[in-house]
Amino acid sequence: MTLRRSVKYLPIIALFVAAVVHLGCTQFEQRDKRFYYRALWNFSLRENLKELDVEFNGVDFGHSNLYENLLLTGAKDVPAIEDRARNETLRFINSRPTLNPNEEAIAPTYMRLAWKAQNTFDEAHALHRGTYDVYASDLVDRESAIRKLLAYYQQSPYAITAKKLDHQALDALPYSKAFRKRFPLFNATIWSYHYLQVVVYDALSMAPDLPAKQKAVEPILKTYHDYLNRPPVEWEFMPLTDQYSPNFAKQYPEIANIFDNLHMMHDTISDILVSDLFPTWGEKHQEIYRVTRTYYWASGETTNPFIVRNADRHDPMKPTMQDGHSRH
Amino acid sequence: MCWALDHDNLDPNRPIAIEDAYPIPHGEIGVEGGIVFNDRRQGTSQFTFQPQLLIGALPNTQLEISSDVMTDPNTVVGADKSGNLTVGMLYNFNTETLQVPAFAARVGLDFPTGVNAQGINTSLTGVMTRSFGQWRTHLNIGYTFLGVPQGQERSGTYRIVAAVSYPLGYPTSFRDTIIANIFTRQSDLVGQQNPTGVGIGIRHQVSSRVVFDSGLGTEFLGPPNRSTFFGTVGLSIGF
Repeated sequence: MTLRRSVKYLPIIALFVAAVVHLGCTQFEQRDKRFYYRALWNFSLRENLKELDVEFNGVDFGHSNLYENLLLTGAKDVPAIEDRARNETLRFINSRPTLNPNEEAIAPTYMRLAWKAQNTFDEAHALHRGTYDVYASDLVDRESAIRKLLAYYQQSPYAITAKKLDHQALDALPYSKAFRKRFPLFNATIWSYHYLQVVVYDALSMAPDLPAKQKAVEPILKTYHDYLNRPPVEWEFMPLTDQYSPNFAKQYPEIANIFDNLHMMHDTISDILVSDLFPTWGEKHQEIYRVTRTYYWASGETTNPFIVRNADRHDPMKPTMQDGHSRH
Repeated sequence: MCWALDHDNLDPNRPIAIEDAYPIPHGEIGVEGGIVFNDRRQGTSQFTFQPQLLIGALPNTQLEISSDVMTDPNTVVGADKSGNLTVGMLYNFNTETLQVPAFAARVGLDFPTGVNAQGINTSLTGVMTRSFGQWRTHLNIGYTFLGVPQGQERSGTYRIVAAVSYPLGYPTSFRDTIIANIFTRQSDLVGQQNPTGVGIGIRHQVSSRVVFDSGLGTEFLGPPNRSTFFGTVGLSIGF
């Protein structure tokens, strides 16, 4: 066979090799990227409450930048995280980005280490965005829209469980708190994002029209920026939805659980990336995937030991505002 | 997070001839279009309008319908006849991990709806994407089988394109991706040299749903009617 004739069959050979490798290689992971729920209210937050949308775009930078820096520094260099990476994040937030950043450009190494976990975050963040859009829109039937968003989210194999998880137990894994102990400033910065992400629901819900919504977010944004400037290192636990948006949590307990579980998963992954119990990237990858599948995905509910059976959202064991949070 | 059109997701001709191994997300619909100006070394210059519809029809799978409409259509040789309707599918086998690049395969059927077109052309392309930090490298290797070659047209042609892309503005801005490629493809007519050249382009996120692109390049080797300069502008809109 001449070289020219061989070249003709190169793509076919390449496809065949890719298919064989695909079947046989455990390193092959599906990408499974899914578009957000298509709806008329999409981007209402961006259009109607720009001040708040800009902050959420800034928040998107924070986790990815943290994870990438933890990986690349081995989580050993405290100034690299607490000063350099945190200041990069604050600079990005202060740049008032009008579009959310491309997180794969921020954290190319982390995305390749733990894509399934990232895709889990992406889908839950899309649920956050979708619900903000509903609250920022002039929809009359908000409830129906929220239910549609939840149903669409729960169709995904990457959906986080909507059941209440025992966060105190999840915060007592052998490596838990590793991140906040070594990097308290960045941890408090992350918890400040989570404060912003959950506090706005009730504030927007109670505002009757757009000017009132714009007014309602002003003190929240001031508090948030105060937290960024002076990270609340005294907080002992992450902000929970029913502490800051109790009406939302009561009306949509499944969504409140998803958001709290999402934020807990962020903390768990931060701890894995910092912990010396997983000294290699391979071991960190394995543990991130294990906890994601076993403790956080809805598909693992039947065997998940951290699900609180017959959960009451006003669990007396749950940390309260007196445990370190102040409500605004 | 996918709360805007992904300007880092590369599609062929938007703005230059390279695509990455990733389809648009499942459920997304995209409309793309651009105008190419092609200044040829011999023969008349040419404009091409390139409308394209993309559908994230299935997980990891993108379906496409496209057409190239050219000025001076009677001078066109090879598979891409002016007005041909092309139906394509891009399937992504895997996302990139620390050890394994991302792989995808494209299949295209080119129906003879255009000027002087005969027979159905079939194209197969293997696609690979590999990252090095924020640099992403891409390789496309493809072959097109002509259904009914005319005159001195080859019965099939191969093409190879390699490219790098990089997000401009990190860590304070994420609206732009720059792309550069080098390509060679078998000539459309028997006995001619491979058109071989380079291109450079940029994709700029205008808004949540709109990406603008622009590119230019040249073929520095090839047949007498090769392109001495080509430039393009286009838009991608996601729904």
